[in-house]
Amino acid sequence: MMREWKTEWMKLRRRKAGLLLLAFLGFTALWCAWILSDADAGDLLDGYRWIFSNLSMINTILLPTMLSMLASRLCDMEIKGNTLKLLCTMEKKGRLFDMKLLTGGLYLILYVGAELVLLFLGGVALGFGEPMQPRHILYFLIQNVTVSLVIYLLQVMLSFRFENQIIPLAAGIFGSFIGLFSWFFSADSLFRWIFVWGYYSLLHFIGSNWDEKTRVISFYDTEPDWGALALVLALLIGGYLLGKYLFIRKEI
Amino acid sequence: MKYIVETRGLSKSYGNKQVVNNVNLKVPKGCVYGFMGPNGAGKSTTLKMLLGLVKAGGGTALIDGREMNQKNRLEILKETGSLIESPSYYGHLTGRENLEIVRTLKNAPEKEVEQVLKLVRMERQQDKKTKEYSLGMKQRLGLAAALIGKPQLLLLDEPTNGLDPSGIQEIRELICELPKRTGMTVLVSSHLLSEMDQMADYVGIINHGQLIFQDKLEALHEHSKSKLLLRVMNRTAALKILENSGTEGRVTEEGILIPSLSDDQAANLVSALAAGGAGLYRVEERQKSLEDIFLSLTGRRASL
Repeated sequence: MMREWKTEWMKLRRRKAGLLLLAFLGFTALWCAWILSDADAGDLLDGYRWIFSNLSMINTILLPTMLSMLASRLCDMEIKGNTLKLLCTMEKKGRLFDMKLLTGGLYLILYVGAELVLLFLGGVALGFGEPMQPRHILYFLIQNVTVSLVIYLLQVMLSFRFENQIIPLAAGIFGSFIGLFSWFFSADSLFRWIFVWGYYSLLHFIGSNWDEKTRVISFYDTEPDWGALALVLALLIGGYLLGKYLFIRKEI
Repeated sequence: MKYIVETRGLSKSYGNKQVVNNVNLKVPKGCVYGFMGPNGAGKSTTLKMLLGLVKAGGGTALIDGREMNQKNRLEILKETGSLIESPSYYGHLTGRENLEIVRTLKNAPEKEVEQVLKLVRMERQQDKKTKEYSLGMKQRLGLAAALIGKPQLLLLDEPTNGLDPSGIQEIRELICELPKRTGMTVLVSSHLLSEMDQMADYVGIINHGQLIFQDKLEALHEHSKSKLLLRVMNRTAALKILENSGTEGRVTEEGILIPSLSDDQAANLVSALAAGGAGLYRVEERQKSLEDIFLSLTGRRASL
């Protein structure tokens, strides 16, 4: 297992997967900075809720595209280089599939973790009124890691399925749009539930009130939709088993 | 005789099409075994089944006496190196980095990378990215990767495909050297008969998924013993004379084909034919080339 894990990282040399994530992280940071640029002292008092609320939507837009690019970076080198017929004489096919998921999963966790670190540092620098709450961190991780893992799994399957990586990348961009639109539907709308990209909005944990008179938005804590989480986890397990089965069954 | 590869009734079909049909390969240890057949005959599928890359529809494959199944496949393949169709490589990595990946997966000692680079004469190109390699260099890299772990068996599927004449010569020399230098067995497939003639000790010929010939190369050459073609004006008279002299003759479009004779026998027969009114006007020596044998076995001219 360790040998296969090690070789995955050896293969990633010069693939610039880390740089890809850094680019998205930088873009996200700039986006957040732009949002905060017109904040007054009152806004900053509840700065974390404000940013978490916006960051969830930013991630809904950016993560599907980033994950499609990441999956493509990790998988298309095997397709382009005809390496499966060599690798599969040295390691189990299912193990190779697992390694792709683990590698991408680790990148994803590091990315979401880096977002939290940047958010925390930004909060300290700008003097957010309330400290970052552990439940926010937990819910943010649940929201972004679980849904993103399902999307990444789907992207890995597509990247292995199609030699032309335009198709998986197009699926990623399509997911970004679907995810964005899902925010404009109500929680019980079917649109949010039938597409996996809509689950970012279902697992959102910050609510908001818009006061028309004062023109002030106030934020409050809500619970994510636990039913949606259960469904995401079921999709993750079912998708993993199906994806691995199809990958193993595929003749090289 | 001990066989390193033995298949029993190996079969594979895709839909209604039988790609490999009841193949019984017997590859002796320490030889170069040429696995020949026209394009689409079932060579690659057979080799892929031996590596477990394609699931056999029927039959069994034994590698070094052990029947291969999904459980022991990787363990058996530790002793096997392979280069199937086009070479496998990561274009963004150097040749050496590619070999390091294979070495890590095979858990082979570090020095082996150096050894195989030397063996395929690629020491000077080892730090170049493989996407910049020529096809010949990629094939040599593929061969180097297959040699890591000091395998007992090397499976090479059309390793000279797409190479220029010097590249073909180089790979051919390497393949011939391996059994002598390392004692390994090389099972190499090709649709080029001339190539096999220069490399193989044993040959197997597959056509339409069926193994139609398998023996030593010399046995294949046996089929190419020369014959004499008699061109005569009067075939009836000539056949009668042949019958009287105890020589077997077969009538063909061109004339009468008889087995090769010694000089004395030939002189006597020519005299008899001339005296008997057969109207002998030409005697030609006919040697069946390997290509002719291959064609007569496979009935195909394709790709030869």
